[in-house]
Amino acid sequence: MAINKTIESINDIFQEGKEIDGFLIGEEVHRGGMAVLYEATKEGIEYPILLKVPRVGRDQPVESLIGFETELTIMKALKSPYVPRLAGAGNMAKKPYIAMERLDGRPLDQIIEEQGGKLSDIQQTIDIVSNVALAIASLHAQDIIHLDLKPENILVTKDNKVAIIDFGLAHHTHYPDLLVEQMRKGVGSAPYIAPEQVMGIRNDWRSDIFAMGTILYEMLTGELPFGSPSTINGLKKRMWSEALPLRAIRKEIPPWLQEVVLRCMEPLAANRYQSATRLRQLLKSPESVQLTARAEKLYPNSAWDNMKRWFRAAGYEPSPCPKPSSALENAPLIIAAIDTRQNDDVLRERMQSTAMHLLQAYPESRLICLSTISSTPTFEGNAESETASGIVRGHLVQLMDWAKPLKMSTERVSFHVLEAMDPASRIVEFAEDNHASMILIGASHKIPTKVTPWRTSMTKIVEEAPCSVHIVRS
Amino acid sequence: MSSDRRIALFADLHSNLEAFDACLEHAQEQGATEFVFLGDLVGYNADPVAVIEKVAELVDKNKAVALMGNHDEAVFKDHSTRMNAHAWAAIQWTRNQLSDQHVSFLKELPLIHKDEDICYVHSSASKPENWSYVDSGLAAWHCAEAAGTTYTFVGHVHDSTVYYQSSVGKLVRFHPHPGEPVPISRHRRWVSVTGSMGQPRDGNPAAGYALFQPDEESITFHRVDYDHYKAAEKVHKAGLPDELANRLLTGK
Repeated sequence: MAINKTIESINDIFQEGKEIDGFLIGEEVHRGGMAVLYEATKEGIEYPILLKVPRVGRDQPVESLIGFETELTIMKALKSPYVPRLAGAGNMAKKPYIAMERLDGRPLDQIIEEQGGKLSDIQQTIDIVSNVALAIASLHAQDIIHLDLKPENILVTKDNKVAIIDFGLAHHTHYPDLLVEQMRKGVGSAPYIAPEQVMGIRNDWRSDIFAMGTILYEMLTGELPFGSPSTINGLKKRMWSEALPLRAIRKEIPPWLQEVVLRCMEPLAANRYQSATRLRQLLKSPESVQLTARAEKLYPNSAWDNMKRWFRAAGYEPSPCPKPSSALENAPLIIAAIDTRQNDDVLRERMQSTAMHLLQAYPESRLICLSTISSTPTFEGNAESETASGIVRGHLVQLMDWAKPLKMSTERVSFHVLEAMDPASRIVEFAEDNHASMILIGASHKIPTKVTPWRTSMTKIVEEAPCSVHIVRS
Repeated sequence: MSSDRRIALFADLHSNLEAFDACLEHAQEQGATEFVFLGDLVGYNADPVAVIEKVAELVDKNKAVALMGNHDEAVFKDHSTRMNAHAWAAIQWTRNQLSDQHVSFLKELPLIHKDEDICYVHSSASKPENWSYVDSGLAAWHCAEAAGTTYTFVGHVHDSTVYYQSSVGKLVRFHPHPGEPVPISRHRRWVSVTGSMGQPRDGNPAAGYALFQPDEESITFHRVDYDHYKAAEKVHKAGLPDELANRLLTGK
């Protein structure tokens, strides 16, 4: 490939104190295998800047430059609060650099190392990875797959918020994939890449789900589920071998969490959780995890079990995959906004049957039953029904009662009571945060006197919702 | 060279005036500064005269470059054995509509045109006179090798496609999403099939064209809705094979 020879003078261009395209180069902060990072400032840009310069030259792997090109293309297209902003970039052939926002937070690998290889606080692990899932969901929604998720590429702030960095191996459905058909298959980081990536497949978003499983595993147990193999055959082992159950290493890990981690690391993408949003939701509400044999495992597979799995893997066919954002379309989240005060039975039944039909139509869909309360009392009474938690619980019971006739598994239905002065805005906000596909609301013809505010609410939801709104009438 | 050139690439117009007008308007709205006609101005549809005259005017004003396609050549050269029956019937009909001047305009069209690091050709830069199709990575590789330029833009194949050089030299196929700019950086080779304006065949009747921005190093493939019912009706009224009218309606 014809890369301009002048590129070799790159070391002269990027030096502390020099200026390039208005960026004043500061101290070198990191020198990695693929790139060097410098601090930088530029007039007019208020946030701190990092200048990422690829390491190029005869002895550098070709991926470093292609990765640079890929990263730039994707950062230009990407809009996410969990990813550094792009401040500028230099011409690829002459002075390649990417100027990006320098975010707070420390790389997760440092945090893991500091704590002796694993995190002592299981809840912290859950919080961090559920935030990673949130960030990954925002990428997938834009048809971007990261494909190189690993602790090094996750920045964690003090309150466990995360940012995702390094898009050098990422894939964007809308752009030519420059890394496809590479000589070397399974480009990525050995401990974390999914089996289909080992096969050279770069367009399955569920590879990111697999990586999140391996990261959870490492944070919880201090071990890498599949080691860090350096050969293709070593990498292929994950197509059939199963990681040692987490609870065999660390007893205090709850069964539900083992279920979630092992399911993320299923060899076939189709057997994993199908969306990052779903993974986040399960990490946030363990009670809705459907437990299977995975949850209870305490011993490694027998030799015979492994043999069977090995035979199955011999015919390993990667799962077919549509584009990443279709994960949202195929696994829609439906919100039913239920007014627990209204007593219109016809409407209630219609809403229930509408919800049931929608859930039946999409096997991966989920329903959140939502109710709002204006506010909980500051001065609590003595009776249970007068305390804040008592009021919330009362609403939850009503919601569960509402959903009972739907006969859906706990994994697919959950219940929330939101406290809000302005229910409509809160519902819209909730739908936005959860990437909901539809809000279901009921409009009764029986209008109790108190219902007028609910009506204006409805108009507001219809106008401001980020998704479809389905109004069920009685 | 003025900065921010925007080159509208029109391929396979095939005498479809309605599609041409709609795309021309769309390209102008997108700020197109120049036009390249990648061959096959005529054939299949009902407005060869109007299309040729419009293109000739743009070429005259130095706003456009036009290249020859196999259907244009068929007007003055026997292609009866190399075309299907409907296509050849449309060529016979077309010839009867054209004056000597129109025919000589077609005759004088070049097969290939190069502008610095860009090559334009109807079929393939590799032996363009053979009218072979750039329909695979290998065909694209032959085309890019023969052109020797960073960018090659072709028509002939009716589906829009981008072939790009991977790190091992091979050309890899990519199907662009309409309306989304595709970055095509200068340090690798690209062969782009711009998609058919006058007879789309991917099931979407909307007319296709591409807008290349050399300074931005990007290309955007557009699909433009036009009155394809009217165009189909004209085909029908002209007495051309009904099959050709149906193709406009179904986009197949």
